Amino acid sequence: MAHVGLTSVAIEVEVDVAEQGFPGFNIVGLAGKAVEEARERVKTAVNNSGLDFPGKKITVNLAPADLPKDGGAYDLPIAIGILTASGQVPHADGLFYGELSLDGSLRATKGVLLVGLFAKGGSIFVPIESANEAAVVEDVTVYPVRNLQELVDHLNNVKEIKRLSHLEIKELVDEAAVDFDLAEVAGQEQAKRALLIAAAGGHNLLMSGPPGAGKTMLARAMPGILPPLSPAEALEVTRIYSVVGLLDPGESLLRRRPFRSPHHGISAAGIIGGGTNPLPGEVSLAHLGVLFLDEMAEFPRPVLESLRQPMEDGVVNIVRVAGHVSYPASFTLLAAVNPCPCGYLGHPRRECKCSEKMIRKYRGRISGPILDRIDLHVRVPAVETEKLSTQPSTLNAQGSKYLREQVINARKIQTERFTEEKIYTNSQMRNKQVKKYCKLDPETERLLRLAVEKHDLSARSYFRLIKVARTIADLEDSSDIAVAHMAEALQYRQQI
Amino acid sequence: MKFENRKTGLIGEEVALQHLLKKDLQLVSRNFSTRFGEIDLIMRDKGVLVFVEVKTKKGLDFGRPEEMFTRNKYQKVKNMALVYLKGREVKSRIDMVAVVLDELNEPVTVSHYENVTGMDGFQ
Repeated sequence: MAHVGLTSVAIEVEVDVAEQGFPGFNIVGLAGKAVEEARERVKTAVNNSGLDFPGKKITVNLAPADLPKDGGAYDLPIAIGILTASGQVPHADGLFYGELSLDGSLRATKGVLLVGLFAKGGSIFVPIESANEAAVVEDVTVYPVRNLQELVDHLNNVKEIKRLSHLEIKELVDEAAVDFDLAEVAGQEQAKRALLIAAAGGHNLLMSGPPGAGKTMLARAMPGILPPLSPAEALEVTRIYSVVGLLDPGESLLRRRPFRSPHHGISAAGIIGGGTNPLPGEVSLAHLGVLFLDEMAEFPRPVLESLRQPMEDGVVNIVRVAGHVSYPASFTLLAAVNPCPCGYLGHPRRECKCSEKMIRKYRGRISGPILDRIDLHVRVPAVETEKLSTQPSTLNAQGSKYLREQVINARKIQTERFTEEKIYTNSQMRNKQVKKYCKLDPETERLLRLAVEKHDLSARSYFRLIKVARTIADLEDSSDIAVAHMAEALQYRQQI
Repeated sequence: MKFENRKTGLIGEEVALQHLLKKDLQLVSRNFSTRFGEIDLIMRDKGVLVFVEVKTKKGLDFGRPEEMFTRNKYQKVKNMALVYLKGREVKSRIDMVAVVLDELNEPVTVSHYENVTGMDGFQ
């Protein structure tokens, strides 16, 4: 089983144990270094499992021959192939997948979920530590294998391996752990409101403000108000994590909405995905979750510009010599910036020391096209002294728990709205869908037209404004987009 | 210890020679050596010059003799064969004979592999 991006290709492992010829062990079929080394692992594992490794000329062919293969997952099928060819186990049907350790036990191997999805209707033999990943797939028989000896006994009908029972995804999704309550952030009501809208509709949000105002804290509180993953979403995200091997051993599913915050030293390949055999980058790991870019202006320009395509399409297409791969990357961008290099531009009490040229240069680091794709722009001003206190906050209305309920309600409305579409949130709507689901009354339409003309907004901004207004209306459980909703959406436009 | 190994090797070479003679190969030279290395046996098989490397093991506790015939050793034998031929173009091949001895230095198995090449899967 080879994975090309998120799609799987079945690899047939043919084994020939020849009676004639100099004893040896050869693997052919564009095997990578890790597969080449399977020779030593398989040989030792077979010997250490109390089985007989035939001292004959062994040729292993991995078909199709033109697809490059890498990783340790071919160990188990090769071992079983050799044992079958030498008559130590009978021929068995099913998919074998897993990396062997020298003592014959199986190691956690990445990509087991994809194997399960591929093998629908059949049976698979996978390492016990990764088997839970496949247990959430319906209509597939999963045999969790602890070691080679156990599998040989199973195939010889000596001692059966108990198949894994199917797990319901619903029961696995966790409640969000709140490491930071929004109530802990002093003041910043406008930013909190924007955060709420961003979480409810999956809109992109840019916070700008002086150092220490609480931008990073607000962002850290974001996971606490994100809604739980729906079963379909959980499966979609887990596929990506399974390919990279980022799921914890024994874990079956990603239980929480992803929240990724890469450091600004990241490379373009790191954020978009890359490598000879392209692996998903941060944008894909943040799929259906949040990508937080702290100090956005410090990110290298190519990195920021590479975000354009995924922000618009929700997918990234990576092209390398080895092939063409596309990964889903429908994420909510959450960004924080300072208004100028020193950080105090527009501060009520501290003086900004930057020259106009410096400010212009700093602002130029984030290009117009990127800013145009951000729906919510919000200022996070310095906190007034009277709002700071060591007393516990009394404003429970602003607590994460309460906000999260609002978000969940708004998402419920969206899920019902998009039952026929392949999207989950308002922000994912295409223009066609905007026209279908967001009817504006003449009054609201007029307000929007006025704003577009006055600020010379782009066509993209036009549609994005409607989407934000839709979310604000959803938060108030209103089926129509009223003037007030549009007016609020306009408030969060880019300040020029 | 070293002497023991040498002795085992000599016995193995003798066993291999008898085995090959029985197979109608004719002996050309034994232990052809230069300062770069040695060829255990050089035989003739129906007009083909055969360079033979003999590997002997006493018991299988430390692995099979075949496993001791590595890519490096193969290359060495090949180079020695080229030295022996001195550029003459003669039909030739490289064979390997694996001998397993028991405690009393009596041969248990003798396997003769004809025309081993670099494509074989040795280590």
